[in-house]
Amino acid sequence: MQVHLGGHLSFYDAERRSWVEWPDAAPLTLRGLAERLGLPAGEIAFVAVNRRLAALDDLARPGDRVEFFPPMGGG
Amino acid sequence: MIYGFTGKILYVDLTAGRLHTETIDETAYRLYPGGRALAAYLLLKHMPAGVDPLGPDNVLILANGLLTGAPFSTATRFTAAARSPLTGAYGESEAGGFWGPELKMAGWEAIVVTGQAATPVYLSIQDDRAELRDARHLWGREPEEAQAIIRDELGDKLTRILQIGLGGENLVRFAALTNELRHFNGRTGMGAVMGSKRLKAVAVRGSNRYLGIARDPQSIADLGKRLAKRVKQHPQSWDLQDKGTPGLTAGLNTAGILPTRNFHTGEFEGVDNLRWEAYEQEILTARRSCYACAVRCKREVTVNDRYQVSSEYGGPEYEAVAGFGSNCMVDDLQAVAKANELCNRYTLDAISTSSAIAFAMECFEHELIGPDETGGLELRFGNAEAMVRCVEMIARREHIGNLLAEGTRRAAEVIGDDAPYFAMQIKGQELPMHDPRGKVGLGLGYAVSETGADHLTAFHDPMVANPESLSFKGAIPLGVREALPPRDLSRKKVELYALLENWSSMERAVGLCYFGPTPRSFIAVDEVVDAVRAATGWDVTVEELLRIGERATNLARIFNVREGLSRADDTLPQRLFEPLESGALAGVAYPKDDFARALTELYEVKGWDPQTTMPTREKLAALGIEWAADLAG
Repeated sequence: MQVHLGGHLSFYDAERRSWVEWPDAAPLTLRGLAERLGLPAGEIAFVAVNRRLAALDDLARPGDRVEFFPPMGGG
Repeated sequence: MIYGFTGKILYVDLTAGRLHTETIDETAYRLYPGGRALAAYLLLKHMPAGVDPLGPDNVLILANGLLTGAPFSTATRFTAAARSPLTGAYGESEAGGFWGPELKMAGWEAIVVTGQAATPVYLSIQDDRAELRDARHLWGREPEEAQAIIRDELGDKLTRILQIGLGGENLVRFAALTNELRHFNGRTGMGAVMGSKRLKAVAVRGSNRYLGIARDPQSIADLGKRLAKRVKQHPQSWDLQDKGTPGLTAGLNTAGILPTRNFHTGEFEGVDNLRWEAYEQEILTARRSCYACAVRCKREVTVNDRYQVSSEYGGPEYEAVAGFGSNCMVDDLQAVAKANELCNRYTLDAISTSSAIAFAMECFEHELIGPDETGGLELRFGNAEAMVRCVEMIARREHIGNLLAEGTRRAAEVIGDDAPYFAMQIKGQELPMHDPRGKVGLGLGYAVSETGADHLTAFHDPMVANPESLSFKGAIPLGVREALPPRDLSRKKVELYALLENWSSMERAVGLCYFGPTPRSFIAVDEVVDAVRAATGWDVTVEELLRIGERATNLARIFNVREGLSRADDTLPQRLFEPLESGALAGVAYPKDDFARALTELYEVKGWDPQTTMPTREKLAALGIEWAADLAG
């Protein structure tokens, strides 16, 4: 699946990537996916699956497009 | 001996062509330590109520903050303030870049400009020496050209130049100031004020160093080194460097609060063409900085394709991406970049310009205006070419542009019918590109901001919604105790708003960028306190810094009450009280009943009269500004 690390969440990827190709495997919760990506729970403000907001307890499935975003301020 | 500031203020009477110097003593400066605090104080001191904002009696203040020019990241900002020609209320706008620090190096805290020159002039400052020079040959020239001519005349390529372009000369009511072509005092029409005074530019060169006036220069220097190193190690500042504000676009769209089609909805189907990845791939050519700032959040873009976009004028911030993009339903990033470049070239505020065009598009689609008014343009949502052309029309005051140059509130009154409903403005100033239906505390800030709708007045609710987030933890030393959801508008949110408004106001007083201190970014509360202490030797506390911010807001509020504004002006456009049409927040409206209650509570928290909004005598006494109690009659 394609995983987007929005805003400063890409800081937590070792290569500072905004998009990560996650190897398709068994479904896992978005919370579990975030943990495996090393994203701190406190920095995730919302998550979308296939462009629709989802809950962290929802499942991500192979082929999904998942986007994590941090708290977003102004500018 | 005073430290951290010189106390010198340059007074420029353009009518008489005379300059003189006054000083502000340390006791007064500690109450109003620069920026918006000093500007509001000087405006109330020097200007009566009711002056024509575009007449000779308006007073234009250019004021550095206490820390402006200190050699650490984000200490770059200065304030431009006057009675706003856009709102008729207190006008104020901050900019970073290089001009403010240069003014500090020249030894000046502020410039007070009064009167009106008979013919165009520019002000040249080289350390202690200041003079007015003929600018008739510069009038009508674009900033890049005017800058080169002035530098040539002064024989100094390093002179920093603050100036207006065509928008300011043509008195567009939301005209901006630019310094170094890429940094803008964008909001509230300060460029029109400067244009009305026929003051084309202020050229500054200084030979001093901030560390030469600081009480503890070593601590300031150490902070500079520490922050420069931290920029890449802190997620929030790293993100500002990596993506800058255009990194916000995709997330706000997903959250359902990306202003789209003049705030009808919060989701734009063409967002993939506007989001950061497209920006970086299609138009980005460099990342740029302000003076001594390691964050480097400024973008530079170049386009040689469907449009020609010069890199000399920087690149679009998020506000322009959303304003010319989603809010005008244009998914062509090159067109967005061109519209932004024209705003910068003509010194127009990109937020107000794009919002005025979205307003005109809605009027056109409802046949309130037609090709006769638009010069034949099919000014419909999504028409990129018409949008770009409309920016030109506004700057040149051609066709519908002449009306839009008056701001959407005035334009709507002239057009009539449903047009006032389409005008997304507060106190006459157009809304920034953050939909308060998803950030209700921010909406409260839009409503009460003395300058009209402003997204930097306080804070954005998501920053303090999660107790485990960096931003929430960063705000704890300010007294933030409880995380509240973005759509919470309880009494606790009201109190949180008031607290963080004071902090944000303080930033704009002492010359710090919104992208410096927590909760938005990477500088800790105690580091801000320590920086002020190191600069001045004052034994300041965070409480004193918050009072500085609160005092500045109270002075701005008194300015507005004096001009006849009241609670009725602290409101939101009707459209925000109606549900978003689609996206993640489809069906969600701003809570109208809660808004009225929250407004009353906010006045109570602030110590203001709930109807007139005038600060009580007790509040003014607590802030040490009893002298202002009788100004509003």
